[in-house]
Amino acid sequence: MKTRFMLAAASALGLMLAGNAAMAQGAAPSCPIKLGAIIPLTGPQGPIGKPIADTAQLAVEHVNAAGGVKGCPIEMVLRDDTGQPTLGVDAARYLVDVQKVPAIVGVVGSGIATAIVSAVTTSAKVPMVSCCAVTPTLTRLSEEGKTGGYFFRTIPTSRVFAVAHAVAATDRGYKNPVVIYVNNDFGSALLRDLEKAIGTLGGKIAGAIPYNENQPSYRTEVNQALALKGDALILIAFSQDGATLAREWISLGGTQNLVLHNTLRSQDFISAVGARFLTKAAGIDNAQVAGASVDAFNAGFKAKFNRDPVGPGLHTVYDSAVVTALAMQQAATLDGTAIRDALRQVQDPAGEVVVPGVEGIKKSLEAIKAGRKVRYVGATGPFTFDKNGDVTGPALVWKVEDGKLVTDKVIDLEQMTALFKRIGY
Amino acid sequence: MMGTLSYLVFFVTVASLFAIATLGLNLQWGFSGQFNAGVVGFMAIGAYTYAALTAPAQHEHVGGLDWPVIAALVAAMAVTALVALAIGLVTIRLRTDYLALATFGIAAAINHLALNLEGITGGGRGIAGIAKPFADLPPLWFGLAFLALAAGALLAVYLLLERLVRSPWGRALRAVREDEVAAAALGKDVDRMRLTAFVIGAAPMGLSGALYAAFIGYVSPYDFLAILTFQIWAMLIVGGSGNNAGAVLGSFVVWALWSLSGIVVVLIVPTKLQVQGGAIQAILIGLLLVAMLIFRPRGLMGERLHSSPLLRDDAAVRH
Repeated sequence: MKTRFMLAAASALGLMLAGNAAMAQGAAPSCPIKLGAIIPLTGPQGPIGKPIADTAQLAVEHVNAAGGVKGCPIEMVLRDDTGQPTLGVDAARYLVDVQKVPAIVGVVGSGIATAIVSAVTTSAKVPMVSCCAVTPTLTRLSEEGKTGGYFFRTIPTSRVFAVAHAVAATDRGYKNPVVIYVNNDFGSALLRDLEKAIGTLGGKIAGAIPYNENQPSYRTEVNQALALKGDALILIAFSQDGATLAREWISLGGTQNLVLHNTLRSQDFISAVGARFLTKAAGIDNAQVAGASVDAFNAGFKAKFNRDPVGPGLHTVYDSAVVTALAMQQAATLDGTAIRDALRQVQDPAGEVVVPGVEGIKKSLEAIKAGRKVRYVGATGPFTFDKNGDVTGPALVWKVEDGKLVTDKVIDLEQMTALFKRIGY
Repeated sequence: MMGTLSYLVFFVTVASLFAIATLGLNLQWGFSGQFNAGVVGFMAIGAYTYAALTAPAQHEHVGGLDWPVIAALVAAMAVTALVALAIGLVTIRLRTDYLALATFGIAAAINHLALNLEGITGGGRGIAGIAKPFADLPPLWFGLAFLALAAGALLAVYLLLERLVRSPWGRALRAVREDEVAAAALGKDVDRMRLTAFVIGAAPMGLSGALYAAFIGYVSPYDFLAILTFQIWAMLIVGGSGNNAGAVLGSFVVWALWSLSGIVVVLIVPTKLQVQGGAIQAILIGLLLVAMLIFRPRGLMGERLHSSPLLRDDAAVRH
């Protein structure tokens, strides 16, 4: 019996993990410089991870077509973490110890990234440039000096949202907003950052009520929030729950001074709540970065995959691989510490601006070789690693006019960076 | 060379940690027939207990208690055993698939508690900066020292459990597993024996989780997903349930299947097909698991039965 059960379970697992299969590409020449990559290809995150891995390989292809690093092509050594931290750490250990990679890119899950930083890359002095881990824990570890400066990421942290919420609220003169937020790591971290941001911009949160996802009604939470008597409601909620919360809030007599999260920036939300209740509502989102560097990546992606680069992590993983390759070119030697320091040097504000794509990368590799300074402006637009290895990004504030979503204000990268400084992140 | 050695040390350490949990499961399933599908929940309790007792002071959750490593490891086992006692008392009337479902649900609940009890667990952000023993040593020496700790713990758990299952109590436990009614008719307190085995089996799972937290220095709810329960079960079944040495061997073999198959994929799959590597690896794992179960249906080392040390009868147990 036992055996038969295990047989069934084992074959089920095989099928489950085997999942999808699609197209891939690559280049495997001689004298390669190895670049480690850890990305979930199977498991629950597999569907997100595979296009990310494809895009990382596209970046490596571009670098190789542009002449490679120090005259050598790069070979990406890709490991699948399956979404399990133990396997992610195992893969990192193998890449660092046996494959001797001087840097690791990718790493999607926050739990996996933190485990790898904590157990492998910091003590091995190997920089990790994550494309997708947004957890604030890594910022804190950096602040405490526990990453040794070897952790970087190309995805903006949730602090960008906190600043945008604070700007949207204080711009409208809300001094005492109530917050209802989703009860998970994202929501609670955002709340902490939001408290700090609003405090700096001249307000104070009247109180914050967490809610658990996917409930049919949030009357209890809404009543608790109403009892706090704020002058506005900042709603950090996902779409379905957000609509339920907003409807109950308004029907129980809550103020229509709403500041809504980016997940509620949809026509569905407006029709679910009713446009006539949203005339005073504002919301926030990441601002779509536009410009030559973004177009260059989009064109390169389309040429390769014959579709637009839509999906999480595609732009950020491209930048994480390319900026690492440029840092390898910049570094005097291919060791982790030199690459760590070079990662900031290839973002020199006074340097020549270089962009994605084979041409752009070729130009920057040559400039670095000739000893000139460069500033890589990537698929995600301009970005600069701060002291914790984090990046910021632009954001926007939207509002509802005649039942339609319109952009009210853009907080560009410079303003965002200045706000970060002012708030003290 | 040094790199390969360092990786091997790492591999053996992780496999030893899993082996400790597998030994615990072997007492519960292999020797007393209790289908615990919530292994990962007990590992999580051990890991979080250790983390809470050793993590530095942080404004988001408890910390700064600064317990010594050994005391925290013992406490992790004790807390896990207590939780297992509570769960065991509630589920004592459940058998086989009913117990499996209940424990599976409890493990899921524990995962949600870890996500939501922010004050203790740090929620989804997890607990970072957990005290690592030997953290001051250079990396390779840290690896070797931790390996010694993990292997020592594994050896201790193995010897204790071996002694336990060879004792008269262990024989009675197997009797309960084979036929509860007969055992009860012979005057054995079936519920009490099952409960004791459940609690004693849970303690090593807690130890395993605690050592894992100490090794990595970070825990989050994502460390304790249901897949890990499946992996521990695979380790026990492949190794041979009802045989402690088999449980240890199975842990090494199955963990190798998961981690080394990834290496094989990197080595043999051409770069241009790398993105398929994950799928190839998954198929490889599935095929090898199936093959092992077909060719060694009782596991690599099946159970060896003898009713008393004086009367050696090495016939394998019937299934």
